Amino acid sequence: MSNNIVENLRKEIEAFKIDTQTEKVGHVMEVFDGIAKVSGLSDVKSSEMVSFPNGETGVVLNLEEDAVGVIILGSFEKIKEGDEVKATGKILEIPVSDSILGRTVNAIGVPIDGKGVIKSTKSYPIEKVAPGVVTRLGVDQPVATGIKAIDAIIPIGRGQRELIIGDRQTGKTAIAIDAILNQKGQNMICVYVSIGQKDSKLRKLEARLEEGGAMDYTVIVSAGASEAAAMSYIAPYSGVAIAEYFMDQGKDVLIIYDDLSKHAVAYREISLLLRRPPGREAYPGDVFYLHSRLLERACRRNAKYGGGSITALPIIETQAGDISAYIPTNVISITDGQIFLESDLFYKGIRPAVNVGSSVSRVGSSAQIKAMKKVAGTLKLDLAQFRELEAFAQFGSDLDDSTKKQLERGKRAVEVLKQLQYAPMKVEHQVVALYALTKGSMDDVPVNKIKEFEAGLLDYTERHAKVFYKEITESKMWTDKGEEALKKAITEFKSSFVK
Amino acid sequence: MAKILPKTIAEAIYSATKGKSGSNLGLALKRSVKILENKRMIGKSKEVLNALQEIIDKKEGIVRMKAITARKIGHTEQKKLENEMKEKYKAQSIVSEFFEKPELLGGIRVEVGDEILDATYKNKLRQLEKFLIRET
Repeated sequence: MSNNIVENLRKEIEAFKIDTQTEKVGHVMEVFDGIAKVSGLSDVKSSEMVSFPNGETGVVLNLEEDAVGVIILGSFEKIKEGDEVKATGKILEIPVSDSILGRTVNAIGVPIDGKGVIKSTKSYPIEKVAPGVVTRLGVDQPVATGIKAIDAIIPIGRGQRELIIGDRQTGKTAIAIDAILNQKGQNMICVYVSIGQKDSKLRKLEARLEEGGAMDYTVIVSAGASEAAAMSYIAPYSGVAIAEYFMDQGKDVLIIYDDLSKHAVAYREISLLLRRPPGREAYPGDVFYLHSRLLERACRRNAKYGGGSITALPIIETQAGDISAYIPTNVISITDGQIFLESDLFYKGIRPAVNVGSSVSRVGSSAQIKAMKKVAGTLKLDLAQFRELEAFAQFGSDLDDSTKKQLERGKRAVEVLKQLQYAPMKVEHQVVALYALTKGSMDDVPVNKIKEFEAGLLDYTERHAKVFYKEITESKMWTDKGEEALKKAITEFKSSFVK
Repeated sequence: MAKILPKTIAEAIYSATKGKSGSNLGLALKRSVKILENKRMIGKSKEVLNALQEIIDKKEGIVRMKAITARKIGHTEQKKLENEMKEKYKAQSIVSEFFEKPELLGGIRVEVGDEILDATYKNKLRQLEKFLIRET
């Protein structure tokens, strides 16, 4: 045994080669709040990693005439004036491998879930230029979120960037988590980037994903609220680097940035400490570029360039519903649509609290399956008209029949679109429920019984209209035969339900 | 008003004194001190002097070298090192300082500007330590 150790050590030492080369060094001039000003380092590049004597890593962010501004990734308490700082010649990169799936890592790819080291042979740079025009492909494959209101009205496609925006406590993260849970068996890798969130929230979320069996295809990148602003700043870029690693294998990836408001705040903190001039709301001038270069990395690549896609769901938290603030307007303009959540709707019990009027998906129905397109075609317009009529109807009681009918249909539509958390719905079920709604089969069911009716209908049709379900699963559209079977099943179920 | 950097002042002093000697040089230097006083930069005179030294070194091809060894090295070795460095940095002349630091154990560490060549035993041992505890 001890012989073995000696032998192994000898082999290791023999394999060791010393490489003496000149190194570029600098010296710390000042350190404060996670920032170090370093003199020297004349040939250093922007975003290059530098190492401090206590083993901490820093990233060069400011290149000035006679000094460089470095953000310190980790604790800066032990770094003092005069310390020697070495340039590494490498742009900041994080280790990646397939075994990162199911793990929780910090912003520099170090596991923080206590499950041991992640073996990796490759590293990916965290800053990369987004794929160019020739490598891209249009978005036409759906990402099924399992949420009726989204899949039917604001469909998301693979490679799209869809913003989730709303006040605190309106269910933004809930939508993201449901979307991850629904990716089981959908051939999708998920990356959840948590920026400046409480560790307790992250732990809860991790447990929830584990319970739903979603950690098998998910990676969590976390920069907690107690960590330095520098970690929050690089976390989304690390997340997208991991996503790119999987996309390069031709896989589809869903990445969630929760949330980019905190990311912008972290960047503002760093920028102000680096004495960059403040602009609107004290954010630096390049805060738009901060998010645009991140979100441009979401794409769908054509087969010639390896295929695969990255779908991004950034989250923005608004203050008192103000979507015209600086960061929300920026991110709205960068993304391909937004899901707008409202606290009023949330408290009314409409959950998910999606405001259908203000939410859009610019990629739209090209990312929907044919069957869904058919049933959801007029739903958005119907709902918008309903909201208008609803306000109008409060003033007068004398309404004509068609208006009354529209109001009743609208109430039922709202009811059908309500959905519990952690209960994503299969697309076939969504189609059946919306078919029944748009064809008027629910018009004579009392509003308070709609949920019960829907649940019973899905169960009944699954057993009695198998042809329809088979057609949807296989060819994404129904034929006359399937529709006939469904219609029959709905009529049968309705007669038994009304009794 | 824009902040005046010590480097800017140093550059101005260099161009004002360039090629001058005798009383002319004395006058130019006196005026330089007056400017420092007027601009309230006397407190920054150390930075200005350092910057001026750097400018002069650069213009005249002077390279400053610092060599640290564990034990004192002989005169011939010092000369040899100086010549080698002179050639490497294509310098007109070299100003060298030699220090001893027993904790380096052996070998030599040469510093020129912000470039360092660390061939000390201490550094080699540190590298070996890193190599042995690396994650594989």
